[in-house]
Amino acid sequence: MSFELTLPASEVSRLRSLQALGILCGFAAGAWLGAAEAPTKLVTIGVSPLVISLIMVVGVFLARWSVPALIRGTSHIRADVRQAPHLIVWAVLAGCLWAVANTMTIFAIRDIGLSVAFPLWNTNSLLGILWGFVLFNELRQAGWTRWFGVLGGALAMFLGATLLAITSSSQGPAVHAMRGISAALGAGALWGTMYIPYRKAYITGMNPLSFIAFFTIGELGMMTSLAVTYTGGPSSLWRELVGAKEVLFWLMLGGFIWVIGDVFQQYAAKYVGISRGIPLSNSNQLWGLLWGILVFSELHGRGASLYLQVIGGSLLMMLGAGAIALSSATGKEQLRWKEAAEREGRRYGVPSDYVEARMAGRQIVGEPKPTRSLWDWSLVVTATGIFLIFATMARVPQMSLHWGPAVALSAAMLVLLVVCGFALWRTTRFN
Amino acid sequence: MPNRDENDQSRRWWSPILKDIHFWVPLIVLLAGLIVLRWIR
Repeated sequence: MSFELTLPASEVSRLRSLQALGILCGFAAGAWLGAAEAPTKLVTIGVSPLVISLIMVVGVFLARWSVPALIRGTSHIRADVRQAPHLIVWAVLAGCLWAVANTMTIFAIRDIGLSVAFPLWNTNSLLGILWGFVLFNELRQAGWTRWFGVLGGALAMFLGATLLAITSSSQGPAVHAMRGISAALGAGALWGTMYIPYRKAYITGMNPLSFIAFFTIGELGMMTSLAVTYTGGPSSLWRELVGAKEVLFWLMLGGFIWVIGDVFQQYAAKYVGISRGIPLSNSNQLWGLLWGILVFSELHGRGASLYLQVIGGSLLMMLGAGAIALSSATGKEQLRWKEAAEREGRRYGVPSDYVEARMAGRQIVGEPKPTRSLWDWSLVVTATGIFLIFATMARVPQMSLHWGPAVALSAAMLVLLVVCGFALWRTTRFN
Repeated sequence: MPNRDENDQSRRWWSPILKDIHFWVPLIVLLAGLIVLRWIR
């Protein structure tokens, strides 16, 4: 039973377009997610990791409500909640997982450095493959070449991560290396599991822009609890925030950049699944390496063998991710995805026409076209205003930065944003 | 009996969630993550 025999030609063509779109989204996600970690380098100037994570999440919260309001308006959120209200639970749960994982990454960067910590937590893609296979029928009946591509890629990524872990434990500060590696791998485990809620939402038809609106409530709630608990209460947290007011804007900006990357990642998870979408967006490792080495001179003055180990390990991981990305889903596997979607629909009473239309990146028949209301424009204006207030308090941190490479990397990210944003709009109108 | 109806409805809403492994796996990983975070900080 082949793909071509079981689906009309127009649907086959549509699914191929969506797969190509998902792959493009995965690469754009990598660029933006990689850049978002750069502001966390400020941890080296004495700001508490928890404050850094909390303020990034505040930036994320503002962006997660204002960006969707700007793109499509928020009326679609109400429509999605009416169809699948149970997904709010998973969105909030995913937000909590993200907050804990992000906090761990800050500790990891502090203890073993950005360029080494990055590949370690990117082992989350291996977990994503496992969950995709076990829970959502991904890679079922995919054929041995796809399996070889995915498992071979996973093995290459594991070897790359191991090489980098050995590098970090021998070259990093001996007292903190173990803690840093644990933090990075822990973040990988949490992020890898966070893709369960992502995939669950998308095979049930929820719009990524609706999902992230609830996701961010869990994210902000969990992060606030962690910050209050671990800094010794609200008053000491407040003192830390006031003490760090000059860098708060840069951290919020990091959160904002992360959201752009995550929106692309959500579309990748929707259209190519988590077993392929996550390794693709993990190309953020290469971007993180570029930011770390070119902009922050992370490995400056170290021996050539260390450079070779870090670059070799990273390239090995990238090769693995590439092999996984090229193993796109076949017709039989697509049918198994559909079975998983039908199972979700039956379990939670979600109408099948809604699930099918949204899986194909379309609206259901008779569904009103989303429009922006006064409320949406208020969200955009409020979020922009808050960013501007923090920008007036900001000062460029006194740390060694290379502005030339920073501008070049930012320009490359903007090109990807425009190309991928246009492709999404043309193919799905952000459905 | 509006209260009883509301309770039934709430139970109907939660029941499939609590029987869903997709709910328990992320929840357990989250709790484990909180323990690791307490250790590394």
